[in-house]
Amino acid sequence: MKKVLVMALALILIVSSMAALAEIPELTKEPMHILLWDISNEEPHKSTHEAAVKRFMEAYPNIEVEQVHIQNDTYKQQIVVQMSAGECPDMYIHWAGGPMAEYYKSGFANDLTELYNTYDHPDFTDAAIAQASYDGKILAIPYGGMSGCDIFYNKTIFEEVGVEVPETIDELEAVCDKLLEAGYVPFALANSSKWTGSMYYMYLVARHSGNAEFDAAYDGTGSFTSEAFIWAGNKIQDWVRKGYIIEGCNSLVTDNGDDRALMYSNTCAMMLQGSWQTRTMPNENKEWYEANLGTFRFPKDAEAEARGVPQDVEIGTAVGNAFSFNCWKEDGSVDEEKLKACYVLATQFYNDDIYNQEQMEHNTIPSIKGFEKQVTDPNMQVVVDTFFNASNVQLWYDQYLPASVTEVHKDCMTYLFGLEKTPEEIGQLQDEAMAAARAAM
Amino acid sequence: MNKPNQLARVESRNTAVAATVFLFPAIALIIVYMIYPIIDTFLTSQYSWNGISTDRVFVGMENWKTLIHDQKFWSAFGHNVIVMIFSILLQIPIGMLLATFLDAGGRKLNIFKIIWFLPYLMSSVAIAFLFTYILATNGGLFSTLATLINGKRTAVDLLGKSPQALYAVIGVMAWQFTPFYMVYFIAGYSNIPTTLYEAAVIDGANRRQYLFKVAIPMLGPIFKTACTMSMIGSLKYFDMIWNMTQGGPAGGTELMATYMYKLSFQQWKMGYGSAVAAGMFILITAIALLFQKIFVVKEDF
Amino acid sequence: MRDRMANSDKEIIKSRIAWGIAFLLAFFWLLISLIPFVFMVFNSFRKQFDMLQQGPLHAPDPWYFDNYPQIVQNGIFGYFGRSVLIVAISLVLMLIISSFAAYPLSRMKFRLRNFIYAGIIAMMSIPMHVTLIPIFKMTNAMGLYNNKFSLIGPYVAFALPMSVFILTGFMMTIPREVEEAAVIDGCNKYSMFFRIIWPLSKSGLSTLAIYNGVSMWNEFAFANTFLNDAREKTLPLALGQFKGEFSMNMPMILSVLVLSALPMIVLFIIFQDKLVKGMMAGAVKG
Repeated sequence: MKKVLVMALALILIVSSMAALAEIPELTKEPMHILLWDISNEEPHKSTHEAAVKRFMEAYPNIEVEQVHIQNDTYKQQIVVQMSAGECPDMYIHWAGGPMAEYYKSGFANDLTELYNTYDHPDFTDAAIAQASYDGKILAIPYGGMSGCDIFYNKTIFEEVGVEVPETIDELEAVCDKLLEAGYVPFALANSSKWTGSMYYMYLVARHSGNAEFDAAYDGTGSFTSEAFIWAGNKIQDWVRKGYIIEGCNSLVTDNGDDRALMYSNTCAMMLQGSWQTRTMPNENKEWYEANLGTFRFPKDAEAEARGVPQDVEIGTAVGNAFSFNCWKEDGSVDEEKLKACYVLATQFYNDDIYNQEQMEHNTIPSIKGFEKQVTDPNMQVVVDTFFNASNVQLWYDQYLPASVTEVHKDCMTYLFGLEKTPEEIGQLQDEAMAAARAAM
Repeated sequence: MNKPNQLARVESRNTAVAATVFLFPAIALIIVYMIYPIIDTFLTSQYSWNGISTDRVFVGMENWKTLIHDQKFWSAFGHNVIVMIFSILLQIPIGMLLATFLDAGGRKLNIFKIIWFLPYLMSSVAIAFLFTYILATNGGLFSTLATLINGKRTAVDLLGKSPQALYAVIGVMAWQFTPFYMVYFIAGYSNIPTTLYEAAVIDGANRRQYLFKVAIPMLGPIFKTACTMSMIGSLKYFDMIWNMTQGGPAGGTELMATYMYKLSFQQWKMGYGSAVAAGMFILITAIALLFQKIFVVKEDF
Repeated sequence: MRDRMANSDKEIIKSRIAWGIAFLLAFFWLLISLIPFVFMVFNSFRKQFDMLQQGPLHAPDPWYFDNYPQIVQNGIFGYFGRSVLIVAISLVLMLIISSFAAYPLSRMKFRLRNFIYAGIIAMMSIPMHVTLIPIFKMTNAMGLYNNKFSLIGPYVAFALPMSVFILTGFMMTIPREVEEAAVIDGCNKYSMFFRIIWPLSKSGLSTLAIYNGVSMWNEFAFANTFLNDAREKTLPLALGQFKGEFSMNMPMILSVLVLSALPMIVLFIIFQDKLVKGMMAGAVKG
């Protein structure tokens, strides 16, 4: 009996000391209302996110969370209207990058650094926290799960034509030639929204120069007309001329599924796309997906590797979606009670075990250390391996760059793939836009 | 004698009172929902503002100076003008032809009227969506037809390249709006008293004479209103283009309204976006009023 | 087809040829009008994957009937009902107010007439998105956020300039003699409106009902901004349910579109008879 008591005591001591290391803030017992805006109007996310909120409300019956789903296309516009009218929700999502900085500078995002350092939270990956920060402050809590981008290919076609997964860019081009001979178009690209073509550009630049040249172009010490950018631009136009990229790519719309349609109809053999395709495609037809789809990471630039350029920069988003909070009192000071409640919701209920499990079932990897080991889908496995082994994650240019530059960058993608301007010309356009944006910062 | 003057004055005061009574509800609503926002827009155009923050920096006429030199704006304006010209050239004559056909054919042709009207009933969002498929380079109508004609796989790229994109959009707009003008002219024709038609028949006029000497002149004011509406609609246009091309490819179908939307809601430049909107407003009003002045049509007969 | 207006034999032949060409062109335009609809209806009976794999111009193979029951389950009739309510109210209000306003502008002479007429034209030029934020703030201040009735104000107000403009045009074609006859009969300005002008404007009013009815039924931007509560949303917003962050379910969206267009089509078939020749018959008695 004594032994049991001692053990019980020991256990209690251990548990309580562990709890002291990572405590959850105590929330008010007063009735409270939280307004939450997200874009989860579609399954499977809708159920997962609503369930998280439900669990929170069960744990804290005095707090009511009003969860409003906004349709993605108009979300950015809606949030601007709300903020402009002084009606910003208490908790709202964004994709980090430029807009997050803008929300913060306009006073709509609480600084979470202190909360984060004091209270318990999931063990987010470094890349995720870096992305959720700005100006040294943590401004958002990730919850959407990471997204990388890799080349999805049709295993059946590759087998039929007799090609192997390429390791280098030269090998990739050889594969493309073989595919063309066999009557297939190598790449399915739907570039109407332009960020899809940007993926090719970003990867070519990253393979040729790591992060160095992009960072330099961004802060003004370099240029968008530097070697890697010109090389990437020329490569792309070369590929377009050789017919590697489906004709008319500038008019195809990825949201309509035009690129997937090309894969399903066996017109194209490869598609460089974001990892969320591993959710969308099985949703459309599980058998086809399991039978035909494989993944490989964007091939290396052997020549650059020989020069010592790191070949493991990954393009994507470490954060997916993140919540920022807008909890202020009438007098302009922080509404601590509400902020803590929102913080608890975001860190303890979104991102809890049930939530993460459901995410994994839908091929969404939470931005939390350790989850990369639990993947079952082989395609997702490739994505995750590349992602977690990356030396760093470059956020999509069109989210990272300031808004006015993004617009120009996207137009440049149209010009590039449409062979309407040379890589030098688009480099100059981007330089000018970047310089103007830096002047305004 | 002052009596006639007095009568005239009483008469005109009665008229003024009656006019006020009848005009009041409309003007009240317009002031609240339209004049107030327009004034707000002009005021905002004098600030440099990202749209959400509470601080705005007063820059006076700076935005307006930028606007006058803004190549993108004037290129968008150019696109609007092209849209306007082609829309008037396509929608109104075709609408009129359809209406004339129906008017001459009478009740038996009702099925035509119904089917011809269908395109107008769909929302711009729906039409944008549908036509992105129909005009698609891969698998769309034109590519399929071209492949059939050519014998080998041909892709007709309509929306991915300028300037085809703008003309493709103009075509879709014509598809959408022509039925409205058809209905409008039908209503105009129905306004012509049958007595005139009967009189023409009795006088032995053939259809061509009736059309050109009686019906079309009677439609004069209706014609002018139709042109004004088409003009203003083209200059203001947003919905379908936004959902179909978002002003792409690379600004090939950028209109003033899409440019303004991007500035205000995507690029954190609501101050400048308001200047664009206010500039649009001034331009459109000027053009419309000019048109009204130039094409004076006899109102009474 | 015997054209009453063809007099001599030569004219009958010319008229037959002319009608022949006319019918050819008419059928061509018929095809143009109909094909996108056929496309829409057919594709609403397919599954998303089939549509992507076989291409959008392929006939449904296999036919998939589950899109419609699914959207009903998602509450489409609720959206429907709310749209009907709001559009009906807005339309009636708009017709009344715009005919009130068109009357003095078309039939009376008074000092500010040209100024107000020019002002109305100016109001037609306002790009709508610009008014989103100020009107939103105002609606909010009135406590009408997330309330479908908040749409009535903007819908009526935005329809007014164009409607007043069109109706003024129509009212201007009513001959002076009709008015003069009424004055002799003892009408004042007010009864003139209700007894004479208004009834004679039926074709103009029908045009307006069609034009504005359709645009209010399909209106998206204001509804999207003002209504975030799913229980208040109108029909155009139903599309949003089927569009996620990275993809959309096209066939389902098409089925929503088919259902949205149907009532308008039915209404038009029923009411298009009102636009009939001879509305002015007997208006001017010698």
